[in-house]
This record gives sequence, structure tokens and C-alpha cells, in this order.
Amino acid sequence: MTRFDVIVVGGGHAGTEAALAAARMKSKTLLITQNIETLGQMSCNPAIGGIGKSHLVKEIDALGGVMAEAADAAGIHFRVLNGRKGPAVRATRAQTDRQLYKAFVRQKLEHQENLSLFQQSVADLIIENNRVVGVITQMQQQFRADAVILTVGTFLGGIIHVGLNQQSGGRAGDAASNKLSERLRELPFQVGRLKTGTPPRIDGRSVDFGSLTEQPGDTPRPVMSFWSKASAHPEQRPCYITHTNEATHDLIRAGLERSPLYSGVIDGVGPRYCPSIEDKVVRFADKTAHQIFVEPEGLNTTELYPNGISTSLPFDVQVNLIQSIKGFENAHISRPGYAIEYDFFEPKGLKSTLETKPIQGLYFAGQINGTTGYEEAAAQGLLAGINAALQSQSRAPWSPGREQAYLGVLVDDLITLGTLEPYRMFTSRAEYRLILRQDNADRRLTETGRKLGLVDDGKWIKYLKKQDRIEKLAIEMADTVVFPGNSAIDALLEEPLGREYHLSDLLKRPGVDIQSLLSASGKSDDDAIAAEQVEIDIKYRGYIARQQQDIDRTRAQYSLNIPVDMDYACIHGLSNEVKQKLQDVKPENLGQASRISGVTPAAVSLLLVHLKRRRDLQRPAATG
Amino acid sequence: MNQNPEVSDFSTIVAEATPAGRGGIGIIRLSGPDVVVIGTALVGELPDKRVAVTRLFKNADGSVIDQGLVLYFQGPASFTGEDVLELHGHGGPVVMSILLRRCIELGARQARPGEFSERAFLNNKIDLVQAEAVADLIDSASEAAARSAVKSLQGAFSSKINELVEKLTQLRIFVEASIDFPEEEEDFLADQNVIVHLQDLIAEVASILSRAQQGVILQEGLHLVLVGAANSGKSSMMNFLSGQETSIVTEIAGTTRDVIRENIVLDGIPIRVLDTAGIRDSDDLIEREGVRRTIQSIETADAVLWLIDWSVETTQMEELKVNPSPDLIHRRLADLKQNLFEGINLEKPLIPVLNKVDLIESIELSTETGESDAVYFSTKTGQGLPQMMTILKEKLALNLHPDGLFSARRRHLSALELGSEHLQLALLRLTEESAGELMAEELKRAQDALGEITGQLRSDELLGRIFSSFCIGK
Repeated sequence: MTRFDVIVVGGGHAGTEAALAAARMKSKTLLITQNIETLGQMSCNPAIGGIGKSHLVKEIDALGGVMAEAADAAGIHFRVLNGRKGPAVRATRAQTDRQLYKAFVRQKLEHQENLSLFQQSVADLIIENNRVVGVITQMQQQFRADAVILTVGTFLGGIIHVGLNQQSGGRAGDAASNKLSERLRELPFQVGRLKTGTPPRIDGRSVDFGSLTEQPGDTPRPVMSFWSKASAHPEQRPCYITHTNEATHDLIRAGLERSPLYSGVIDGVGPRYCPSIEDKVVRFADKTAHQIFVEPEGLNTTELYPNGISTSLPFDVQVNLIQSIKGFENAHISRPGYAIEYDFFEPKGLKSTLETKPIQGLYFAGQINGTTGYEEAAAQGLLAGINAALQSQSRAPWSPGREQAYLGVLVDDLITLGTLEPYRMFTSRAEYRLILRQDNADRRLTETGRKLGLVDDGKWIKYLKKQDRIEKLAIEMADTVVFPGNSAIDALLEEPLGREYHLSDLLKRPGVDIQSLLSASGKSDDDAIAAEQVEIDIKYRGYIARQQQDIDRTRAQYSLNIPVDMDYACIHGLSNEVKQKLQDVKPENLGQASRISGVTPAAVSLLLVHLKRRRDLQRPAATG
Repeated sequence: MNQNPEVSDFSTIVAEATPAGRGGIGIIRLSGPDVVVIGTALVGELPDKRVAVTRLFKNADGSVIDQGLVLYFQGPASFTGEDVLELHGHGGPVVMSILLRRCIELGARQARPGEFSERAFLNNKIDLVQAEAVADLIDSASEAAARSAVKSLQGAFSSKINELVEKLTQLRIFVEASIDFPEEEEDFLADQNVIVHLQDLIAEVASILSRAQQGVILQEGLHLVLVGAANSGKSSMMNFLSGQETSIVTEIAGTTRDVIRENIVLDGIPIRVLDTAGIRDSDDLIEREGVRRTIQSIETADAVLWLIDWSVETTQMEELKVNPSPDLIHRRLADLKQNLFEGINLEKPLIPVLNKVDLIESIELSTETGESDAVYFSTKTGQGLPQMMTILKEKLALNLHPDGLFSARRRHLSALELGSEHLQLALLRLTEESAGELMAEELKRAQDALGEITGQLRSDELLGRIFSSFCIGK
């Protein structure tokens, strides 16, 4: 029997990041997947990033992960979203070539030191004394390890629905993991069912592109990874936009009685923000058209992904509804759309490291935790991989706070509030949105990544050089003084200079940008990356300082740890409702406790008093 | 992370620490790291520690709020273990209120119930044995605060605030949707004239603030309800108490036909007195409605002043005049009480007011009835008022409390002021910088501030509102 430090079960976005992270941290890692050919597969739409999501991707990137670099290597269409709304809410999205993406991830996995791949279905976990010590495959092979990470996506008890037909499956074309699902249901986890879906795919040769609206990528083209350049992107392709119409909606309404969603066949809860087309038509009956983004699946395929019409209606209805859409009149469906129901485990049962509370050494990441999206999955995979490696190396665990990363927001939301529907990231979930930007993910996390052993020398040196450039430029802006009569500067301002000013003070003014200031004062403006950071730092300074104050103010008490064995029933003064909620979540620290819905400030105070009392009782000598 | 400023942190806190209605001195207590900065801004250079010095308490513009003693305790040698400053002013609810607001303006935060004691405990100034007491204090003070907040939120104020918060939420639905879903075809901000909506909101907060500051719609203080049989002297008691007021009398808008309300300040305690229709006065339908309201008033009151025409009682029962033993009075009151309050859930402190004693001839009644809680009273001579106030304060535990009085009204006012400030900044960010994300930040802060009154809106709740308002997502 072979021994590993860390075993990762599943080779999707969570599994690959988990395996790569653990291996980068020098843990001997095994990635077990049902099918090596589907490593890094994009099961849903062929895009990476978007609002809230590119924030996660860039955080993964800052911590040495693969997703952003894969998106750059495979990106055939790039856009900046919210480009005119200010840097904090700006986001990047890449349409990718599925094959290129998969190939890039596969190549990274195969060339990663300390990482082995193995193709098998995992049937069981080996658990001794509430601690996972390995896995057993379908062929009864045993692998032992200090930590096991489950990233099984939609495969646990997966059921695929097309109309009233249903079949077991983890994804179209792949078998579900039913043995493992049954086994996990015997463990003390709270199981729920969720639902997601995909649209039918269309053969591009049967589409009339002339009647679609072309949507080109952005120029200049953004880059997803801090470590890549736009010049390395493959050939670019446009996307297209079309719409459903009343005829489409009539067809859908007529098909509802054979819809698994509306005939009560599906119990799983779907996401409210990414509804199926039948949901959209029913819930927003007065809308006469819904937008469809027609996305290319790759450079060497004619297949298209019509994003916005995910459906589980019967296949004959799918054909009719597709052909009712402008430009799709003669469209050929190459793969039917479907809905999939799968098991997830209530994430309140997890620690902030994504280790399960009941079984030591067992980590969950990705859709198994009730999330949706490649980016959300990858981010969790990375975190689980890091902590599995840390545990195996007997090092202290690490998880970022809500003020540090979207990854922190994601995990804290999951473990504190749980989830009732597939959880997706949005910028409005982050309290410190002005600090947690996609542009500064490296400044927020790369140093930590380096300490953890995730960031290699090449990236680290690149990072240090960038910091140095930012610092120098910031000093230059603060030190450079311009005087009245400077016509180049006056041209940028509403009124001419009345006295001398530091460039950094002028930059605070609305409408004044750093590039113009630099060139007007005769300085080099060709380091756009450093200039952007300095500009944002100066323009957001007041807000960032205020958010920082909020963070500092509560940090001391919020980080106070609550023992796992805390008996909430004996805390004086807490209402039964609050006791129940605390017992339910078992928060790790006071901050997490304060964020549980229904836990009042007075309850937090009582908890604080109790914690100190408990500590004083245990260490009577320390009081004074 | 929760931005709720009520959550424990080590910022500087402030509260009025004056025992209610004790003499003419009001004490404001500050504790925390910024005490020296705030104190210096307020009274100039601080005196040496533990030396009481007279100073002027000044506004931002240099005008004088009050004059009084300043006492500075340097941490850790203080009650809380932190730097503590005490300002002993001349009291009076209005002056105290201005002084408190000035401290908040300078960066202090209004203390939560029990917070001074909590800090003392956390800084090892209170020993372990007292920990339970601290927990009790936080618990009871929070309950009192909650009761006070509910009271403050009754009626017009509550509906105004809810309306305001709903409008702000609506605006944020559009703003946040435009940020998180920029690719939707509906431009969530296009047909919503954000500037107009913001200006409306700002005007609305200003209007609520000005009315609230006048005390017109924001209610607080003790609720006393006057009950009694017909002709027991309720109306004269009402007039008498109003005549005693030391600062404010306000008619409350929406006064019902049969429940008359007055706001008065007695002994420094703001009191709302409700005069009620008599209980069991009539079988008349309209009267019965009056009775229903009376019962309702009793339910929301802090204490019930039960008026009895003692001149009638003493006439009917000579013994009460000749030999008014505590036991006899007690028995008589028990009979009357059963008669009058039968079927009414009376869990409130009940103070029997043996009224119209000035009409009882040929007898010198002692000032004390001997019967606990009951007082001889005369609205003509004013006899019994001090006794009544003492009993009230005892019954309602308004005595010296290390954490001072909790004022929901004041807290609500600061929340409104803060909310107003952020709304104005939101408008500025939008109009001067077209900075949508900064406007969104200010709107969120405004909502957090108003959330102090109505409860916080969580980000997932806001997202839920967005999803139910718009068809979103691919």
C-alpha cells in the first residue's frame, strides 16, 4: 500500500488547485480522478472570471494557483466588466477554448513535483477514531494519507434530468459517485440536494451569425494572471448576442408540464441568480425577451454555448425553443441541455480551513459545499490544499479573513451562514469592497503565499520588483511639486494652479488621472501597472483608511478563539434561540459568532465575558 | 465583517452616568483610548489625574455648552482600566443631550448597555466573583434598552423610519445590481434618477430629524398611565403633573379621543403620562372602546398610577380615617383592586394614590401610609409628590447604575444624524466624482447607521431583493 501526505479526490477546478497547492508546499500528493482525460474540464460555460469571480481568480493567482494562467493560455475573448465604474468593482472575464484550458491544467499537473495522478473511482474513506487516514477505490485499492480532500463536484448522487427522463450521472457522459455518496451519508454530515443546469449546445455551422449582434473583446486586452502578458494569448474570437421572444416563451410555457422543475420531479434548490429559461419565463412573465450570450467553445470547434437558456425541458421542446430564436432558425443542437441534482453537505459543518468538524483530516472543497462556479470551487480547493499540507506537516492552519480576501468572505459566509441555494460570489457580499480589489490581490496575498511555500522564486522576484516600482512612483508623486504658471499641468485642471502643489495632492481631484499628470510634468508614464496602483491608493485613500479603522477596531476581540467544546447552554443570560444558533454553527472565534444571524451585540458581550471568565478560571494565577 | 458599531471593540465609549433625578448634577463618562483627545477638544487641557477642576465644556464653534467639574483617571487606574474622563455638568436632560452629542461628534461611540462594567471585567478591574453580576447587568440592561427602543419606535416615528429605510433599500437594489450585474440589458440606474432619489432621501431624513429633535414623534422616557374610577381625580392629577414639569410639555400628535398623553420631565426623568378613560365606567359601546384602550395603555406602560378618591373611601369607612393602620389600608386596597382590575393582567408596578386627602376633614394624616407603595396625595397642596417619585424610582430601579441611563431616543437621533451624513456624501461622490462605487459605499454606511434603529440589512438579504426584483443571470 502506498502512503501519501495528501490525497485529493476529484480532478475538477477545486481538485486540481488543491492537488497543485499541496504539492507546491512539498507534500507528497495523490490526485485520484474517475477519468484523467477530464482533468481541468469546464463542465458548464467556457468562461473564467466575471464580477466577484475574477476577484477570486486573481487571489488564487496571487497564491500561486493555476486558474488565471490557464485562462490566459486558453482565453479567446477578454473583457473588463464595470470598466467605467471604478477599480474596486472592476472585473475581468475570459472566454476560453475548453481544449486549451484542459491541456494547460493537465500539463501543470503532470509537471508538478510531488504530485501523482491516478485514475480510479473512490468508493470509501478509511476512518479511524474520527480521523480520516486514507481512501479505498472501486477496485479495493487502499491509499493512506494524513489528509483527504473531497472535491467531487456534482458527482455525489448525481441525477441528470432532461424532461421527465432521468438518469444517474455526475455530468453529461460521466458516471455519478454513488458508492461514495452512500458511504458519506453514513457519516455525521448534514446532507442536502442542490440543482444546477446547462443549456443545449449548438453547432455553429447551423447558425446565421449575420442576424446576431457581434460582441468583440476589449481593446486593450486585459490579462487574467499577474504573471502573464496579453501577447501570450491565443487567437481571439468574438461573442454574439441574441434574444428569446414571445414565441420562445409560448413554447416554454406549453412544455412546462413535462418540465422536471415544474412537475415536482426535482427537489434540489437552484440558484436564484442563474435561473433556467423556464424559471425566467415563469417568474418574470412580463418580460418579452431574455438576452442570450452566444459563446464560442473553442478555436477548433464549431460548437457554441448559448449562455442564458439553461434548461431541463424535454428534448423536443429544446429543439423548438432554440429554433424560435433569431439566428437559430436552423440550429442543430449538438448536446441537449439538462439539469443535474446532486448532494451537498451543509457547510456549517466545516472549519475555516474547510476541514470537516466531525472527521479530522477530511476536507471538502467546491460544489460539495453548496457553491457554484469554477472560481468559487478553485478558491476552496486551493485553501483546502494549503491546509491539508499544513496539517500533514504539523504546521499551523491558515485561512484569510473577510478583510483580506474574497476567499475569506466566501469561506466565512459558508461556514457561518450555511447556504440554501448554490452560493455564488458577488462584490456586494464583501464589506471591504474598496480594499478587496482584483488589481491588488497580489499585494494582499502574495507575501503570505510565499511564506506558505506556494509562490515560486520567479513569481516572487517579479512581485518584489513590482512593489518596488509602486513604492518609488508613490514617493515620486508625493515629492514632486508643481508651481503656478505650469501650463501643461493647468491644462489638466479646471482652474490654473493658484499655488504650488504636490502631484499626489492634485491626483486626489476628481477627473485628474495619474498618466496625464506624469506626462504633463515630464515624467515617464510607461509603467501602467505601477501607475494604476499609485492612483488607486491615492484616490481611495480616505475610504481605505476608514475601512482599515473598522477592521483594526474589532480585530483584537474578533480574533478571540472559542474552544470547540464550548457548552453554550451554560452561558448566563443568552436566550435559548441564540444558544441554539451558536451550538449549530460552533463558531471558531468571536468575530464569526457575531456574524451568525440573530446573535445580538449583547449576546456577543455575554460570550466575551464568559470566555474571559473561563480563561481566568483555568489560569487562576494569571488574574490580577 | 460586521460593521455594526454596537459590537464589542475597544473604541472610546460615552454614556450619561447620572443617577436619574438626583439633584442638579449630570455626569457624562467617557472611557477608551481617545479620552484624552476628545477631552482636550471639549474642555481644553485635561487636569492632572484624579484632581477635580472646573472647566467650560465647549462646542466645536467655541460656544459654551455648560460649566462643571472635570475628573480624569488615567488607565489602568480607573473603573474600566482604560483612560476615563468624567464631566460633571449642571444636568438637565437638554444640556446632557448636547454634551453627549458633542462627545459622539468628537469620535466617541455611545456605550452599549453594561459596557463600562464589561470593560472593567475584561481589564481585570472586577474580579471573577463579580463576573456573573456583569453578565446579569449586560442582560438586564440590554432588556431595558430593548424595551426603551421599542417604546421609542412606537407610532409615527417607526413608520417614518421604516419608510425611509425601505426607500434607501430600493435605491441600493438598483445601485448594487448595476455593480454586480453590469451586463444585464436593463440598465438598473438609467430609468432611476439616482440623484433625485438621493435628494429625496436626504430631505426626508432632515425632516424626520427635525421632528424627532423637537420630540414630536420620537417617544421615550417612563410611561406612566393614570387609571381609576370616574371622579378619582385623574384629570386633576394630569394637570397637576403638567404644572410640575421642569422643561418640556408636548402634545403628542394623534392623541386619541379618550387617551390623553402628556410629556413631562419630573425630577430629571422624562415621563409620558397617559390619562385614560375609567375602567368599568359604562356599558356604552364607545366607553367600552375607551376601556379597551385603557387596558392597552396598561400593557405598554412602565408603571400604573392608580387613583382612588380617598375622601370617599374615608367617608364610607370611618375606620380608615380614625385608625388608618397599614393592615386596614392594605385590605381595603385589595378589595378595591379586585373590584376594579378584575380580569386585567396587571404585571406592572402599581402605585395606589390615595387622592383628595385635602378634602378629608378633622384629621391629620401622617405623610406615610405605612402601607408599602401607597401614598396620600393631594393635587391641591402637592402633598405626596416626593413620596410618589421615590416609590416610582424604587419600583423602576432608576437608581444609581454604574452604566448610566440608556437612552434609545438619543441613540436613534445619532443613528439618523450619521445616516444623513453618509447620504449627503453619497450625493457628493456621485455628482462631483461620478464615483458609483464610492456612492455605493456611502449608501451602505447610511444603511448600517439606520440599521441601528431598524435592524441591519444583511448582504444576502439585499441580494435576495435584487433577485426578486430583476430577472438576472445567464
